[in-house]
Amino acid sequence: MSTKVGIKSYSYCLNHAPETGSHYGGTPYEAYHSGKEQEYLDALPKHIQSYDHALHYAPNQTYIGGISYEEFEALPSGWVNNPLPDEKSKRYGKFGELMPEDEFLGLISACDEFELVWLEKNFAENVSKKLAEDPVITEAIVKRVLRPKNMHELSEIETEVKERAGLYLYNEGKIVGCIRSGHPTDDCLTAHVLMENLAGKASGVLALLHLMKNSGMNPNDLDFVIECSEEGAGDVGQRAGGNFAKAIAEVAGCVNASGCDVRGFCAGPVNAMINAAAQVASGARKNVAVVAGGSIPKLYMNSRDHVKKNLLALEDCVGSFAVLIVPDDGTMPVMRLDVLGKHTVGAGGAPQAVTSALTFEPLQSAGLTFTDVDRYAPELQNHEITEPAGAGNVPLANIKMIAALAVMKKAIEKPAMMDFIKKHGTIGFAHTQGHIPAGVPFIGHACEMINEGKIKRAMIIGKGSLFLARLTNLADGASFLIEAPEPVKTESTLSKEEIKAMLLETLSEVAGRLS
Amino acid sequence: MGKLAGKKLLLLGERDGVPGPAMEACLKDSGAEIIFSATECFV
Repeated sequence: MSTKVGIKSYSYCLNHAPETGSHYGGTPYEAYHSGKEQEYLDALPKHIQSYDHALHYAPNQTYIGGISYEEFEALPSGWVNNPLPDEKSKRYGKFGELMPEDEFLGLISACDEFELVWLEKNFAENVSKKLAEDPVITEAIVKRVLRPKNMHELSEIETEVKERAGLYLYNEGKIVGCIRSGHPTDDCLTAHVLMENLAGKASGVLALLHLMKNSGMNPNDLDFVIECSEEGAGDVGQRAGGNFAKAIAEVAGCVNASGCDVRGFCAGPVNAMINAAAQVASGARKNVAVVAGGSIPKLYMNSRDHVKKNLLALEDCVGSFAVLIVPDDGTMPVMRLDVLGKHTVGAGGAPQAVTSALTFEPLQSAGLTFTDVDRYAPELQNHEITEPAGAGNVPLANIKMIAALAVMKKAIEKPAMMDFIKKHGTIGFAHTQGHIPAGVPFIGHACEMINEGKIKRAMIIGKGSLFLARLTNLADGASFLIEAPEPVKTESTLSKEEIKAMLLETLSEVAGRLS
Repeated sequence: MGKLAGKKLLLLGERDGVPGPAMEACLKDSGAEIIFSATECFV
């Protein structure tokens, strides 16, 4: 079995969702229902950034591949006050797109199989026309937006919300639709839960569609999908039964694929990558797409602090990504399966132990040292979002821990720490969407830099806050290496006919000697 | 016994910083009473 797989392609998308977020993001939703934070709720709309501003925001363009990582790294700090020029602020980047909110609502409707999404008729018609212009949105998806069962009069939508526990959908301050409740008593099928799950599905579909485009793969040829978001789709019997992967593959037209979900909070994507790579390396699957949609509850999670400090509330995008894993053929960046970081149960929670388990131990097992990795990508949250909320600069905190461990292990001298941090660290550019920033946003940029000969090796690190589910006090973590390809050694093989001919030749020689 | 002896402690940890259980382990012999320890995630 090979210990390497190829990373054939990748996609990264954002769905701008400020109005959905300001109503149903976890923090505003909780504030509204507590009835105690009217001042914050009244102020939040004044702190929302426009779609145009989001397009000009450097971390967003870095995420969708509108600018390279090196361009991003060279930018002055204070991205929010230094918008990118128009020519670098397009909707479509090399990896994916930043979709506006009205089209996202249309896409959510297209992903609905159970008449759960009702859009106002004129809105649905208008948004279907806009979606039709998107290069990855298929005709079949556009038609789904226009299904009569998903298009209703505003009066019907109002009745559904008032009398049957639906939730309004908004655009430009107006009601444009609703999410309906899926069951009169089941807590797992409330309109709120279904909105989260359908948004996760729709954003995952968008990432998978871009992956098919970026890879040039016919959707019919996709073998398997592993979905790794943090949403739970189920009913009262099994609250997170699944399965997002197959539901996403269905809408994306991947008719020969099946799939399953992998979970682990923010460690989910790295574990899903390892799972996918192992399946491809073993030959169990011809290819696997690792996919994750994003999270509505995480929108405006830290906005109380952003509002309090009179800053823009930047947590307004639902993130998604997809990576296509195929057998290694020596032509594309590879993911190694023989150098994996694993945060074991017994490792404990001390920062030094966690960092050692995820970096030093796998590197040591492969005969590598800290400086052999050109870039470390641990938890890539955008610090312009997290610092005002008191959560610090997460990627910087992580690379500092790696540098300190490198000093302890005598891989570098103490005075070289700051140089190591600058040279080997990565700056966060991802939205605080839980699993989305967990190292994986750098896979695309790492592969680009490897293909351009700028780096040889990157380490992707994900950490999951398992304790949030109240099952264990433990956190989790996992890591893997991406490397430049090497020519694949092919073993020479003989056909049956060639063996037969050789045997006959030998027997004939033996017979000749006997006669 | 150090200067924390007899004190009551509330420990608020953070995943990418120092988690609650790690602080508990450091402070178990301090003579202080740990009355609350938690780890939070803000990202």
